[in-house]
Amino acid sequence: MIRQPISTRLAILLGILSVVALLMGYTLLSYVQHLDNPDDTTIPTWSQLGEGVQRLLEANPRTGERWLLLDAEATATRLFLGLFYGIVGAIILGLLMGCYAPVEALLVPPLSLLAKIPPTAALAVFFVLVGTDTEMYVAMIAFGVLPSLAQSVYLAVHDVPREMLYKAYTLGASQMELIWNIIVRAVYPRLIDSVRLQIGPAMVYLIAAEMVLGDVGFGYRIRLQMRLLNMNVVYPYLAILAVFGFGMDYCLRLLQRVTCPWFIRHGR
Amino acid sequence: MKARMFKNTMIVAAVAVVLTVPAFWTVARADEVPAFSLAWSEYPSWSAFGVAHEFGFINGREGEMGPIEKKWGVDIVLKEADYDTCLVMYGSGKCDAVCITNMDALIPSLTRKSVGILPTSTSFGADACIVVGDITDIKQLRGKKVYGLAKTVSEYCFVRNVEILGEKESDYRFTNMDPAAAALAMQQKRDGFDAIVVWNPFVLETLNKRKDARVLFDSTSIPGEIIDMVVMTQESLDKPGGEKFAWAVIDAFYTINREMAKPETRDETLIALGEKFSNLNLDSMRKVVKQTRFYATPDEGVTVLGREATAGIMEKVVAFCVSHEIVPEAPAVGFGSREEAEEAAFRLDPTYIKGFVAKSK
Amino acid sequence: MEYPLVLEIQDLSHWFGDNLVLYNVDLDIIRGEIVSLVGPSGCGKSTLLRAIVGTHPPCRGQVAVYAAGALAPAVVLKPSRDRGIVYQQYSLFPFLTAAQNVAMGLMLDQTSLPFRFFRYLSWRNLRRRHLAEAVALLEKLKLGHAIHLYPHEMSGGMRQRVAIAQALVMKPEILLLDEPFGALDEATREELQRMLLTLYQENLDARRMGESPPYTIMIVTHELNEAIYVGDRVVALSQFWNWQEQGHRRCPGATIVLDQPVPVYRPDEERHFETFIQIRRRIRHAAFEPSVLQDPQEYKTFATDLASGRGEGVLQ
Repeated sequence: MIRQPISTRLAILLGILSVVALLMGYTLLSYVQHLDNPDDTTIPTWSQLGEGVQRLLEANPRTGERWLLLDAEATATRLFLGLFYGIVGAIILGLLMGCYAPVEALLVPPLSLLAKIPPTAALAVFFVLVGTDTEMYVAMIAFGVLPSLAQSVYLAVHDVPREMLYKAYTLGASQMELIWNIIVRAVYPRLIDSVRLQIGPAMVYLIAAEMVLGDVGFGYRIRLQMRLLNMNVVYPYLAILAVFGFGMDYCLRLLQRVTCPWFIRHGR
Repeated sequence: MKARMFKNTMIVAAVAVVLTVPAFWTVARADEVPAFSLAWSEYPSWSAFGVAHEFGFINGREGEMGPIEKKWGVDIVLKEADYDTCLVMYGSGKCDAVCITNMDALIPSLTRKSVGILPTSTSFGADACIVVGDITDIKQLRGKKVYGLAKTVSEYCFVRNVEILGEKESDYRFTNMDPAAAALAMQQKRDGFDAIVVWNPFVLETLNKRKDARVLFDSTSIPGEIIDMVVMTQESLDKPGGEKFAWAVIDAFYTINREMAKPETRDETLIALGEKFSNLNLDSMRKVVKQTRFYATPDEGVTVLGREATAGIMEKVVAFCVSHEIVPEAPAVGFGSREEAEEAAFRLDPTYIKGFVAKSK
Repeated sequence: MEYPLVLEIQDLSHWFGDNLVLYNVDLDIIRGEIVSLVGPSGCGKSTLLRAIVGTHPPCRGQVAVYAAGALAPAVVLKPSRDRGIVYQQYSLFPFLTAAQNVAMGLMLDQTSLPFRFFRYLSWRNLRRRHLAEAVALLEKLKLGHAIHLYPHEMSGGMRQRVAIAQALVMKPEILLLDEPFGALDEATREELQRMLLTLYQENLDARRMGESPPYTIMIVTHELNEAIYVGDRVVALSQFWNWQEQGHRRCPGATIVLDQPVPVYRPDEERHFETFIQIRRRIRHAAFEPSVLQDPQEYKTFATDLASGRGEGVLQ
């Protein structure tokens, strides 16, 4: 039968098993690759990976910098700034579009078009318009995230039932109060959901741009070390990115659970 | 009950057949022609292989063979990708041969014994440091950011010229950036982009688009040090048909060079070479092939792969790679055939060109 | 006998493009009464309600509201706190608890965003008082146990009761209920009907003391029994009237075809089913029979009934 539940213990066990299978699969892959070429570095063994991790943690003898800290600082700054502007802009635009028909008619067509353009392909545009420093990354992430997020906000605002708005008017709400106290609060959990979905793409744009333009950051380091065939540095970086993405997602879900105890998820 | 058992048996039988068919298929194919792959990226002398496919001399698709492949009895499979990807493909064993510079060849050779079988060209102005404004002397670049792709031939060209001009490398800030992006920035007259080190077509494009841009120094001061070549793994050479593959690749390259030499086909070949390379016109492409000096004849090829011409160069290149942490340790570089340079991780071997010439008579 | 008015609907007509919905609706609502508005499906009851609330002003005619003690009414142009409404669904704000929902109106009406932001501490004090008032009202309506529950944790009946509290805390001139109990089961519906009757008793107490009755209610329902039980006056809207005889080429819209007082019940009183049957038959004949197209004035007996003392409760 479909959707027949299983015990929590079994679910956890299966989850652990699949991760273990993944790790074992990798070990097998590495083993096979090393049979073919014992000196291979492109699918590193676990000990090679350990060396790689060491390399990115310890201070470079020539420059004194630790790769991981340097790259993390650069990439994280760019990501958070970009997300910040993107999210704030999207909320404002989405609210305006959802509440005022003229704004909706004006902005929905261009935003739907912009949302379909892969920002990685439009990299040259950002580069030309904004330059090459942090501002470019921030602009690229913000513009990559803003159109779809603004659309999500706009749709969520549209989904607020009319009755609630009329009710608020009869309770003495002004326009501003309607937007801030009613609409924003009603769409807040869906906003968090939409932001969660944008984190992945934002990271993709950022890493892709860093690969081309950066001289510091995760994307830069990965590209460089990949060319030098030091996959034992690249894979730990990838793992860190995955963990980070997972962590952000988890934090947002937690935020939603804590601040919106009233939000019902269908199908639970 | 019986019907269900029958159905189950049929399913198992069908699955078994489906799983074993590929095995039969590969066994049957084993006595066919051996296939080897060559990874290449867009660059004047390497695009020769793409053009060879376009003009029909070889067929880059697996399982299909052009006249050259039939002549040597081997199937050349072409894999086009960008340069970095080609490098990774070669390093992880996903292709048998790759178009690569002598410098970058040192990286995979530490884990996969490699042999340089064919030098295709050398940079003679194709790598350049372009400056703008009132910069006329290298000393003016001290402390300024010079943009170029780090840990590549661009940096090598820069560092070697700094040496030649008697300066200290530590006085200069070579900063990583993709050459396309750096060239665009300079063309856009962005602040801070006073000096870039890039390769063609970005050199010519930048000089064309920005009137106050000029070459401060380039690879003409280090002729023959940056060698573009085709490198193959020792392992692939040892496989049956590996040698034939080397000969076929060499044949394809020199065939295109002959087409370029013939006046009636020269322009057409140049245009084909330049098509995907850049949006430079025929005149610029003529300049390009001067700056990327093709090793157009087997004699030149044999000389370049010889100890006399290149041993000193390779020493400098290895030293650069070690000091700039491109390789963790210095790979042993050798010259000559396998017997002559058994221990070399990276071997430059002219015997394949010689073999090609001998068998073509 | 003086019957102070709370709402005057004059000559109200409404249409949507080619679709003629309402025609020349005239209605005066007396302070303290519970008017049940009934009629066949789609005749325009909700449209009329929306015109009263002010979210969809009429195409022709007007609605005017008397503020407490005012001598002249003010024309309705947009929704405001003097006309409360409870809808059949989406009646509460899902992101607030019951107490917060009820206090919401107090907050929105009495404070502004800048006040709440810049005079935060004064706001906090005021907020405590609002919540106390909200809790008191909820306890009065027997919802003390639901104070901290969110709407999705409450039953349908509880939700509607909280919604009524939310509207009543504003002390509106008139409370409008748009088929409020339609989605509830029989037992809950009866419970809520009795709650409305309890409020009506407060009206009677106020009258006896010579004060103004606090609750004036208009309830739209398709349940005739409910209309007769809860209300002290039934008004029927229908498109089945003699428009052709009156010279129209097609039906110009629904209009009021029945208006009469009905018996008033105390919350604990048993219903008199024979009276119900009679009145129901009358209403059906006047409003629900497509083949019976009578003059609208025929069953509009409210004024004469009042004059001859046939009104009950507040209408005596």
